[in-house]
Amino acid sequence: MNLHARISLGACYLFLATPVARSALEAAMSTHMLLQIPLLAAAGVLLARLLPVARQDALLTACGGALPLVVLALFASSYWMLPRALDAALGDPLTEAAKFISLPLLVGLPLALAWRQLTAIGRGFVWTNFISMLAVLGWLYIAAPVRVCNNYLVDEQGSTGWLMVKLALLLFAGWLGTLFVGGNVAPVAVPASSRDDARQANPA
Amino acid sequence: MANYTYEHTPDRGATAGVLAYLGTACAVLLLMMLVGLLMRLEQAQIIDLGANWFYELMTLHGAGMVGIAGIAGAAVMWHFLRQYVDLSPGIFLANLALFLVGVVMIIGSIVFGHFHAAWTFLYPMPSQSMGMWSQEAAALFMGGLLVIGVGFLLLHLDIARAIVARYGNFARALGWPQLFGHDDGNAPPPTVVASTMVTIVNIVGLVVGASILTMMLLNLYLPEFTIDAMLAKGMIYFFGHVFINATIYMAVIAVYEILPRYTQRPWKANKVFLASWSASTLMVMFIFPHHLLMDFAFPQWMLIMGHIIGYLNTVPILVVTGYGALMIVFRSGIRWDMASRLLFLSLFGWAAGAMPAFIDGTITVNYVMHNTLWVPGHFHTYLLLGMVAMVFGFIYYLGKPGQNAAEGWLDRAAFWGFSSGALGFTLSFLYAGKESVARRYAVHLPEWLPYDRVGSVFAALVVASSLLFVLRFFSRLGAAGRDYARAPLAQGAAA
Repeated sequence: MNLHARISLGACYLFLATPVARSALEAAMSTHMLLQIPLLAAAGVLLARLLPVARQDALLTACGGALPLVVLALFASSYWMLPRALDAALGDPLTEAAKFISLPLLVGLPLALAWRQLTAIGRGFVWTNFISMLAVLGWLYIAAPVRVCNNYLVDEQGSTGWLMVKLALLLFAGWLGTLFVGGNVAPVAVPASSRDDARQANPA
Repeated sequence: MANYTYEHTPDRGATAGVLAYLGTACAVLLLMMLVGLLMRLEQAQIIDLGANWFYELMTLHGAGMVGIAGIAGAAVMWHFLRQYVDLSPGIFLANLALFLVGVVMIIGSIVFGHFHAAWTFLYPMPSQSMGMWSQEAAALFMGGLLVIGVGFLLLHLDIARAIVARYGNFARALGWPQLFGHDDGNAPPPTVVASTMVTIVNIVGLVVGASILTMMLLNLYLPEFTIDAMLAKGMIYFFGHVFINATIYMAVIAVYEILPRYTQRPWKANKVFLASWSASTLMVMFIFPHHLLMDFAFPQWMLIMGHIIGYLNTVPILVVTGYGALMIVFRSGIRWDMASRLLFLSLFGWAAGAMPAFIDGTITVNYVMHNTLWVPGHFHTYLLLGMVAMVFGFIYYLGKPGQNAAEGWLDRAAFWGFSSGALGFTLSFLYAGKESVARRYAVHLPEWLPYDRVGSVFAALVVASSLLFVLRFFSRLGAAGRDYARAPLAQGAAA
């Protein structure tokens, strides 16, 4: 099962790197930014999931815990949101190779490793921050007074910006929606904060 | 048919964190009241600060009061909610720390940077000050708001985590199984329902607020990235309106938790109660366009939505809570003291304060009333006589020395001083609005001065009464942290 999954993941990754898939996904700014880049990051997430739990824990410890990994993923993903980086990836094979390596290894993998250790608050913060910044980035693309990429037309950057704003709204609705479903009612228990009070009142 | 009976729950003292929140809230509230009094005295031409100072004080007063209402409301909610779910004291304190950092940034931007674009910081004013303040001052103000927003987002994420851990999901915490199915009487307590609603709407509002603040900060340094002014206004009012609405929904938890202890009657989380909170969860997020009715360039459907939802949202929680309070108190044999009086007064203030908004939410009325003192009349009634009275009731309750402790004449005098002062103060605004006195004007016409002078006298009475409430609270901090029964038994109730 694990072997099949690894082979499938490797095959998908290699398929994304084929000239056919690359030219199809990189032909438009929207598919480049909102499809190819997230798919490469997702490959990193799947890679982390396929690692044995002990290996994941060892990597997490070696990297200093969840926070540095989240910060690493944040910076690496921010870089690939820059129009200059997109242009460079299209014009320079080395930068293109760096994109194919860095997005799985510096965005997807660290985020997936950190996710296991993040509390519900940490996950919520990552989601809400990502959603609001995606919307802001979308606005930046819409409001940009100049053509920001040499390889894409100015109307394309506007439509990509709107797609980002819409995606942010959908993600927000979806994330909030998950809080309305699933889960079980916990047995009635005294919250820890109240237990502390009880101990103070009755030390014995 | 569900059966509701009163179950006595232990009366817990406030944690150090809650006391820190309330202490901060009381101190800043008094300071902001004084700032408000200075503004009224300036309009009344009793003092002469100058227009620049007036607008700086107006910015400080607006931002400070909105923020401190949030802190006080959060203290009430956290104090009672922790009886039902496992909240993180660390996150609670982190929010207060971030709030204080934000407050220092905002005060710095106003006092040293002379930023005075009002708390609404409407685009493009912060970036186009015409030399009145620097880019850095505007950045410091908006950065301060952003820091405060991050703190509240963390707090609400923690509350969401705790509620989901206990009730499984928000739908159960809002009592939807009982609302849409058989009411078995096991709906979550009113505190949990209210906290869930506040958490949902505030998370949405804060994310939108963080987005527009980031956009405006970027615009400040990269002015070529322009923002649609109407979009910016819509986002700011969405965030601001949701946040300030949420403060009263947090503070009303004090009414739900404390009044039943005085009457030994349960506050029923029945179908009507659950329906009203669920309906308001949605409506609070769609009501904000009633502040945009004069902006004819907004899409017509948004203005109509603001008009209709402005009417509808006045009804559910307010009527359910007001009616519930009347039913819980009627012939209960309640023994009135400062806490119960203030809490009961707060429901009047909430109800009375909502009415001017109801009227102003009518498009044809709005065209002539919205830019007058009618609107400050509305939100001061709603917040001062409603939300702040709830907080004062809560602090009196916490600090009550004993179950049957008697109150001095000074406290009773302060109660009547606060009630009559707040009424006179808000009515002076409302009447001035009716007479078409423009709002946000530093300099008033001679014909307007009588309203300003009457308002100043009542404002001074409110400040003096509030000072006594706050001093009383600070003198009873020790008692406020201890666990003991505070509410006297109703006459005729079994001990």
